[in-house]
Amino acid sequence: MDPSASGIQEPFDLIRLSLSERVFVKLRGDRELTGILHAYDGHMNLILSDVEETIMIVDTEGAPDGQGTVNVAKRRMEMLFVRGDGVILVSPPSRT
Amino acid sequence: MSFFGLQQTDLEQDKRKFLESGLHESEDVAVYTWGEDSYDGLGDALQEGGDELNDETFGGSGAVGKDFDFSNPALPEDKRVSHDAPQVKREQSVDKEPHQHQQPSSLRPSQPSRSTAHSLEAIWDDKSPFSVLPRMNSTSRASPAPSAKFSPFASETFSNAGQQSVLHKSNQPQPRVRTLQEIEAEMLQQRSAAQRQQEVLLQQRHHEEEHIRLAQEQELQRQQRIYQQEQQQLQIHRLLQQQREQQQHMRTPPPRMLPVSQSPRFLEHQRQILLLQQQQEQQQQQRLQELQEQLRFEEIERQMVAQMTLQQNPNQYASRRAVPNLTSPENQVLQHQQLQRRQRSQSPVTGSNITPIQDNMSYLPQNIQLQQRLLSEMTQAEYMRDIQGASQAEQEALRAEAMRKIVEAEKMEEKRRRKAAKIAHMARYNDLMTQSDKDFITRIQVSQLVTQDPYADDFYAQVYGAILRSRMGLQSQDERVIKFGSGGGIGLGLAQKGGNRRPNAMQRMEQQVERIVSNARKREEEKGLHSLHSLQGALGKTSGRSYKAAPRQLLQVDASNPSASPTISPAHAHISKSSNINESAAKEAAKLGREALGTAADTDNLVRKEPLTQREVLIILERLYDIVLRVEQLRRDQPLPEDDESSREWQKEYDSLVDELWVELRVMVPLETSHPHPFISLLTPTKGKKILPRLTRHLSSERMLTLLTLLVACFSQLDVIRQASVLDSNEDSREHADVERQTQAFLGSVMQSILPHVSNASLRLVTGLLGLLLDRSNIAAIAQSKPGLALLTLFLSRVEVIKQTSGSELAEIPSSEEQLQWQTMFDHLFELLAPYFIYLFPSTRAPIVVPPGHSNPADIADQPVWQFLAALALHAVIEQHQVLVTSLREKVLDIILSVNKGWVASEEERQTKLANVNLFLHALGLDSSQVAL
Repeated sequence: MDPSASGIQEPFDLIRLSLSERVFVKLRGDRELTGILHAYDGHMNLILSDVEETIMIVDTEGAPDGQGTVNVAKRRMEMLFVRGDGVILVSPPSRT
Repeated sequence: MSFFGLQQTDLEQDKRKFLESGLHESEDVAVYTWGEDSYDGLGDALQEGGDELNDETFGGSGAVGKDFDFSNPALPEDKRVSHDAPQVKREQSVDKEPHQHQQPSSLRPSQPSRSTAHSLEAIWDDKSPFSVLPRMNSTSRASPAPSAKFSPFASETFSNAGQQSVLHKSNQPQPRVRTLQEIEAEMLQQRSAAQRQQEVLLQQRHHEEEHIRLAQEQELQRQQRIYQQEQQQLQIHRLLQQQREQQQHMRTPPPRMLPVSQSPRFLEHQRQILLLQQQQEQQQQQRLQELQEQLRFEEIERQMVAQMTLQQNPNQYASRRAVPNLTSPENQVLQHQQLQRRQRSQSPVTGSNITPIQDNMSYLPQNIQLQQRLLSEMTQAEYMRDIQGASQAEQEALRAEAMRKIVEAEKMEEKRRRKAAKIAHMARYNDLMTQSDKDFITRIQVSQLVTQDPYADDFYAQVYGAILRSRMGLQSQDERVIKFGSGGGIGLGLAQKGGNRRPNAMQRMEQQVERIVSNARKREEEKGLHSLHSLQGALGKTSGRSYKAAPRQLLQVDASNPSASPTISPAHAHISKSSNINESAAKEAAKLGREALGTAADTDNLVRKEPLTQREVLIILERLYDIVLRVEQLRRDQPLPEDDESSREWQKEYDSLVDELWVELRVMVPLETSHPHPFISLLTPTKGKKILPRLTRHLSSERMLTLLTLLVACFSQLDVIRQASVLDSNEDSREHADVERQTQAFLGSVMQSILPHVSNASLRLVTGLLGLLLDRSNIAAIAQSKPGLALLTLFLSRVEVIKQTSGSELAEIPSSEEQLQWQTMFDHLFELLAPYFIYLFPSTRAPIVVPPGHSNPADIADQPVWQFLAALALHAVIEQHQVLVTSLREKVLDIILSVNKGWVASEEERQTKLANVNLFLHALGLDSSQVAL
């Protein structure tokens, strides 16, 4: 479908398509979220439900020759409001 | 001085005085009156120095020549010089006798005569400007009777005593504290005189009572004095406080108070500042009053105590009254003494020198008045009691009553004051804005509220309000919207509840808005008359909506302009083109399906396509939502049936929208176009499933049947069927959760929307649908999914209902042919399912090891299966029953055994298990209790 036909005219229209779908959100501070998108606005504030947050913690201390170990912390939340200024990208989850 | 009309003789007299004073003529300077009694002693404080050269300068050391001595020879003749002379001579005398200034006492012997002779004439004669001073000094300083000043109480007692009888004369010269011996002596003396005095006693008693009253009055005065003294301290405190507060005030002025000297409201501000200061003063006074009141209260308390001591004797009074001859003198004396003692002991302040300050009196009046009133009331009551001989209890009660009243009054006063202070504090900002300011702001706010589509902009509040109203049973159909013709309107949000101030405010707002709008409209009309709209909008639009620009727009559905919405685009034209081509074929197919022929649509002019991608599905869904929202909005705007014109128009618009919806749903796309079918693809996302009930409401039953047929035909393509096996695993994965969610959405939305249509279907239709299902899908797989099982149960129960009601006249009686068709179809189904009966149970497919103590979720999951099997059993014939029983025998026995052996965690679980089994067994005409183990 060509863009005009699909009615996609601006980037936000793509996000609109993902409403009530599971999305992958990358955040500043090495955080990632997957959850079901319920609402968003022009600031990219998001409301997600059934969210799993993944936090990468790079531990540089105590690691030899500058090779930090990456720890991954995960947590789940029922409902989450994500402030838009931390959002780097929003995408539909990769389908296998 | 004759022109002053004064007599010459005065001058003569003056002269004589000059000469008579002899020693020094320079004593004329005595206008300073250093030596007088009224001398203020300031002369002692003079700092005099640098006099060393005075003699040289003025030649004081040698004899004074006649050169400068104008006065002496002039005195007898020249009147003028006599006036000037004292000035000069004063200087000389200062030179000569500097020590006299520092030792004014040395002058004293010579002075008194002069000062006493200080007549009015003398002052007139005196030209020195200082001449008036001593007189003023003397008048102000001359204290009349020093004793009266600081002990009026004592003096009053004196006078009172003076009025009294002989008996008290002995007391009169004794204002001091008397010793016990004295008192005793007195008492002895009085006893001896008692006989004599009996006749006077009646009169005396009268005096006595008067005395008491007077004493109380005195006490009152004393209290006033104490009060004044305290007042002085308070005043100092107050001044300090005032200063502090003023500083504070300077630091924090209310807004807009600072640089407005040029403003036209400057005057008003000034007024406000004044007001503020007044308020502050008021506050200070209030604080002061509080203190005063506290003092007063203490005072009253003290008084009460004093009265108590006084009233310890009413018995004595009474007894004395009863037997006046015996004890009265002693009593009287005792009482008198007691009284005096009390007065002294209670007024330690009266001894000290208190000079009441006039300023403080200004604060007193109301307090004093109140105090005096209360006190006088009390004293009067006491007096009355004394006379009437009221009982102790009554007095107590009265006193308590009085106390209570006082406390109450003070509380009320306190309350009132606090309130007033609060109001005053808030009133600081009164009139900061003019009415036009307020109107201006209201206009801005209202202009922000006006929208093209008040209902949609206020959508959630409106819908929520409607839900609330319907829940509460209120039948108010009005939308909470103010509309201004075509110009737009304002959403009012939820209706206000409760009778508080809010509704009032809302009403006011509404009225205001209406007024503003009508005014604006009027102005618009006038402008239209005058200026032909040539300048309209030249200065820009007033009703900007910038404040809610970004976030809201994206979710907004602008019904008036389809192209504004991102997904409603000309795209569907091209889609419908392609679907148009195949429309007839699809129709044919659907028709065939409905006829339960079980054959696919003819494949002559079939265009095979790739299935819709996820993205395409989402785009189409967004478009569908847009259309649905528009249709729903249209439904709300349905015109009244009387209005033919608009009704027709509305119907036309509605129909076209519904058509659009139908096309977008892609139900008419030929079955074999793609796998999965586009419609099935649309049902894949949750929102696709959820839109169906909203959408089917607008579809005709014809179209719904088509939809139902398509759904059944493509049932195996549904995501919930394909991924049903995921649910069989017990792992707690994301996928599992997602499929669970989808399944729930399907059961809740899709099944619900087709349910009413299936439950009204004829036997022929149901047979056809079942046939379609059996033909096009793997029935075993479908039956092992929740939605499939639900659909099959739905069919079976519908047929059961048809069978039951077939006897009655209202249902359309299925022909025997149809019944036969159904039986064939059912047999086919049974045959297909028979090997899998045991696998229909989720618990069989994925046995769960349940830790003891937990209720088995499998029982709940198995419930629909038991229901389906029961429905199956109802339709089955004997041979089929046997098949059912043999295949399920083990399962049933298992459950009954576990129930009987008590292998259940709870009573609830036991009930569930039993109910499950019985559901099935009852359909066979059996019961779990009949099953022998």
